[in-house]
Amino acid sequence: MTAEPVAAIVSLARGIAAESRYFPGALLSAFLLVPGVSAAADTSQGAQIAATCASCHDPTGRGQGIPPLTTLDEQTIVKRMRAFRASESPSHVMHAVALSLGDDELAAVARYLADSAYAGRQP
Amino acid sequence: MTGWTRRQIGGLAAGALVATAAPHIAHGRGRPRVVVVGGGIGGATVARYLADLETIDVTLIEPNPTHVTCFFSNLYLAGLRSLDSLTFDLRSLAERHRITFIRMRAVAIDPTARSVVLQDGARLGFDRLVVAPGIAFKLGEIGGYDEAAAEIMPHAWVAGPQSELLRRQLESMEDGGVFVIAAPANPFRCPPAPYERASLVAYYLKQFKPRSKVLILDAKDRFSGQELFQDAWSRHYPGMIEWLPVQFIGKTRAVDAATRSVVTEGETFKAAVANVIPPQKAGSIAERTGLTDATGWCPVDPLTFESTLQRGIHVVGDAIIGGDMPKSAFSANSQAKACCFAVAAALTGSPRFPPHLFNSCYTFLAPDDAFTNAITFAPKDGKIKTVKMFISKVGESAKVRRRLAHQAVGWYSAFTADVFGGVS
Repeated sequence: MTAEPVAAIVSLARGIAAESRYFPGALLSAFLLVPGVSAAADTSQGAQIAATCASCHDPTGRGQGIPPLTTLDEQTIVKRMRAFRASESPSHVMHAVALSLGDDELAAVARYLADSAYAGRQP
Repeated sequence: MTGWTRRQIGGLAAGALVATAAPHIAHGRGRPRVVVVGGGIGGATVARYLADLETIDVTLIEPNPTHVTCFFSNLYLAGLRSLDSLTFDLRSLAERHRITFIRMRAVAIDPTARSVVLQDGARLGFDRLVVAPGIAFKLGEIGGYDEAAAEIMPHAWVAGPQSELLRRQLESMEDGGVFVIAAPANPFRCPPAPYERASLVAYYLKQFKPRSKVLILDAKDRFSGQELFQDAWSRHYPGMIEWLPVQFIGKTRAVDAATRSVVTEGETFKAAVANVIPPQKAGSIAERTGLTDATGWCPVDPLTFESTLQRGIHVVGDAIIGGDMPKSAFSANSQAKACCFAVAAALTGSPRFPPHLFNSCYTFLAPDDAFTNAITFAPKDGKIKTVKMFISKVGESAKVRRRLAHQAVGWYSAFTADVFGGVS
């Protein structure tokens, strides 16, 4: 396979990924078409914030001690982050992170993380 | 130079590894080019994140094929980790993430011509340059402490052979000896690390050389996490660690390698093992390129990490100054991500959002006792300012601390996968 068709399909997948909250089924299909090819990272607000998550949470979900994010849906992420925001316990690290995110930022990163996990993509 | 060709790459480099597949190079013509100088935490992170965008050609210049992390190297010193487990292959990073890796030293930067000069004389053009040079030592500030003295009284502040040397000295030290740590004034790489080192060396000594002591000769009167460390020292290593602040002994002004002595303004201390951590400044290429100010560090725009002294050149990691972020691997990683998205915005028009600058460090007091801090930062008035800071507390249960020590190991694995793009 030459680079150009792969790039084209990846580009297509990225375009769909940007709209994935509207067409989650289409996103999955796009990835199934190209086994073994992961999409490029993107520069959406959710992706930029999620880069911070990846400093501690192993995107493959293999890590020990620090819970993976790959199994969480959007609503669960928002709910847990609001709980972290409200209290220094059980984790002052997550309390600090949660306090640093506005509601719109939290929504963006939760959507991005949930979509990434759904697509089997590394955040 | 306007673009990479295979011939130019081949001409550059006997010894340079070009990890990128050839189709990518051809495909990359016309794409913006970013060169990253330095394959430590900041440099590797920015190279990996930029390359993953697949809109920019990224070249990483670093003479070492591997990187050994300074963080967790105190565990190696105490016999709790192998150095192999702290070593990451930059060639694998380059292969997995389509980064062109040139295994060579960058000897000069020409900001006007926008090119980097490599050790073989070749020039490499860039649209944006990211410099992540880490630290250099101000060797002149401690009389007699030069590179030869560092082979007798190791700093072990850059992980690798220096760490192995200090470990060998600790192992061969006789019971009843004094392990001296000379700690520098702020700012320096990893503020809690001299005290974590004291803790873990004491852990080793308590098992194998219980009549020995650790003596810290500090150029400060206070240090990072002080209450947590002093509480832990009294619980885990009573009577084994002595800390002498600068107000009692004065600064370390000289060493005598022949007698393994550290000379402060007030006294001379003879050591069985002397770990001399010199004052620090930005890595030398930053100084040579006019990226440093009178402090010896690199001032940057806190939104983009672009140098305020040389436009088009960004600096991340321990080499920067100008705010509250500590010189830590986590800070370097966080800055590198902010820098990556700013560079991408400048070169490709991708969207910009306010950066989330963050630092969280795990610090070991004993193998099953660790603490954490968490600090958020925001750009304000051209500086990086602390917004919120949280830290573990004295008196937390052993169960809480055990959990943090366990998390620390998981954090190391996730963090290094984030930086180096996978397992070592």
